[in-house]
Amino acid sequence: MAVTVRFPSMFHGKTGHQVVVSEPVTSIPGLLDVLERQFPGLSADLADPIYNFAVNDEMLLHGVNAHPLHDGDVIEIVPTISGG
Amino acid sequence: MGIRARVASLLAELPREPQYPTQCATLFVDLERRETQTAYAPLSVARSFLGGRGANMFYLFRLLDETKTPLDPEVPLIFGSGPLTGLVPSAARGNCTSWSPDSGILMDCNAGDYFPSFTRMNGLDHIVLYGRAPSWALMIIRDGAIEFRDAAPYVGMDNIDMRDAIQRDLGGVWKRNMSMVNITRAGENLVLTSGIMAGPKAIYARGGPGAKMGALQLKGIVTLSPTREFPAAQPYKPYNRHIAQKLLGTSVVKNALSVTGTPFLYKPSRILGAMGTKNNQETTWTDQLDAEHIDPYRPGMEGCFRCPVNCRPLNDLHTGDADKYGKGDGPEYVTLGKFGPNLGVTTVEPVIRLNNICNDLGLDTASMGSALSWAFELFQRGIITTKDTGGIELAWGDAAVIEQLLFLTSRREGFGDVLADSARAVESGKYPVEALPYRMTVKGLWQSDPHDARILKAFALGLAVATRGMDHLRNRVTLEINAKINDDADFKAELYGGVVSAEPNSYVGKERAVRACENIYAVGDSVGMCRFTTKLFNSPSLPGLEEFQQQLANVTGLQFSLAELDRAGLNIMGVERMINQRLGVRREDDTLPDRWFDEPTMSGPFKGERIDRDEFQAMLSKFYAISELTDQGVPQEAFRAQLLAAMGV
Repeated sequence: MAVTVRFPSMFHGKTGHQVVVSEPVTSIPGLLDVLERQFPGLSADLADPIYNFAVNDEMLLHGVNAHPLHDGDVIEIVPTISGG
Repeated sequence: MGIRARVASLLAELPREPQYPTQCATLFVDLERRETQTAYAPLSVARSFLGGRGANMFYLFRLLDETKTPLDPEVPLIFGSGPLTGLVPSAARGNCTSWSPDSGILMDCNAGDYFPSFTRMNGLDHIVLYGRAPSWALMIIRDGAIEFRDAAPYVGMDNIDMRDAIQRDLGGVWKRNMSMVNITRAGENLVLTSGIMAGPKAIYARGGPGAKMGALQLKGIVTLSPTREFPAAQPYKPYNRHIAQKLLGTSVVKNALSVTGTPFLYKPSRILGAMGTKNNQETTWTDQLDAEHIDPYRPGMEGCFRCPVNCRPLNDLHTGDADKYGKGDGPEYVTLGKFGPNLGVTTVEPVIRLNNICNDLGLDTASMGSALSWAFELFQRGIITTKDTGGIELAWGDAAVIEQLLFLTSRREGFGDVLADSARAVESGKYPVEALPYRMTVKGLWQSDPHDARILKAFALGLAVATRGMDHLRNRVTLEINAKINDDADFKAELYGGVVSAEPNSYVGKERAVRACENIYAVGDSVGMCRFTTKLFNSPSLPGLEEFQQQLANVTGLQFSLAELDRAGLNIMGVERMINQRLGVRREDDTLPDRWFDEPTMSGPFKGERIDRDEFQAMLSKFYAISELTDQGVPQEAFRAQLLAAMGV
């Protein structure tokens, strides 16, 4: 099982552009646990409401914890702000 | 009763002394006679509507003669700053208010940069302009004294040249001791998509304020004076540090606004399938316009007076100093969307260049981009042809044609004269009536932002009920796109004062979220705070009513409960709806373009989504009920009586 995680630019210094997680993760919370081990402090950063998750280009607007992850998924962390 | 009689009647009621510490005067300017008078907004106005946008509504309500037309010099043009403007971090904003020549309803625009703060440095909270100057005039406010000059040397100038000429001629220094609002050739030519420039990019944009100022033959207002301290009721700077820390400690500011600015939003809208594309015929577009593609062209960030955020991205296309439009200020997300997917443009370079041209020509990128995309769809459908466009092929994505059309519009030449009529081109007989179904407006105003709101029902309701027309900055429940907040039901209920569905495409409880946002945003506008840094717009952690309450007490000595402040937001909406009622607005005008009811989206995770008419009407009725409005969308009798009393009517 492997999923790819893509990070926004503000995390590139800590994480690089993307990582491949080769552990059996089946949910976003499980994925965050793995990422926290790899990049200590990252889960606290990602707890900020600004960050959404898109799985295979589908942005999750609710029900994030219940969304299943599968082998080969691409998870992108998308900062969301409004505009003017 | 003419405008002079109305002003005289109002002046007879207004106090001649400040009503609280730091209150500045209201300047009444008869441009035709070059006469000025000053007074102060009454305490009842401050308590019910605060200042800035709210107090502007008081002045407009009292001075408006709805038997005239919007460009009539008897209809005033009103600038206003809030009681915290210029004194509190990120409170650098002011409003410009009148009767819109574009939409035909309330015109009310907000801008920052330096003018709203520097008018206060000259002792003025509001400037009420009326009468047509006998010849083009420049008004100079120097250390509080008013001077009129012949503006003939500046007529025909657009923004870049005029700012250079004014700095040369008046000897001030931008951002240090000088600020200006000015119109461009577009405003002189009464182009309905023209704004009033308030800096290199800052613009009072929506509803044709440039045309309104042009109709008064006022080319610009310049302020000249050093910044000064204000004798506040209590020390306020210690609490300013708390606000600044709160701003800079908020993730959305630290990681997005201060680094990249608003173009960040393009990507989530695109992924969501909610990116208005080709006049909302489609809802997703290329990733080549994601904010990261602007990075190579962003040499730095700029900001407004005493704002620590600095959210305005500068740009440099590296085309050399000889290229007038190779450098500039922006683009914001709105411009990126309106001149990118909305017009079929696929790369950032032409969008940046078109942004720089609009800044120089004084064109509102939201309305101009929408007027263009309307024309392009009409051309696509054969409703207009090259016979109508002067031989110009309106092909989606043709940036050279778009650039040509911007210049033609500002001069009202050729097909530009049609585009200059903006959303009113059918009414003026320049488009056939068959064009109307493709006009993406509400209450006559083009949509402000590129987000296609068929998915997020709270966004849709907000656009329908916004008092200045189809605009997201009045009430957008932006946190609806925020999964962590949607998944925390208790927190979400606390934010909005009741249950709001977690599902973005549900109608349940969305009226409550719109009401909460509309209130706090109106309060933010009326104290002078920037929308980007007001709670609920970009984050639940930004300064909100609690911080406004504390600094209003420190700066003005006026004590407000949190409920009274929230009520002030409702009051401001209420008087705006009373103004709109006088201008003919009714329930059927609080709606959305037919396309969003009738055409489902064709891509993205919410493919097939549209607005259900019955669900929408039910949501609208609930919104009216919690807003103390009748089923026609105007204040109920008790509410109306309370508002009239506050305005001395």
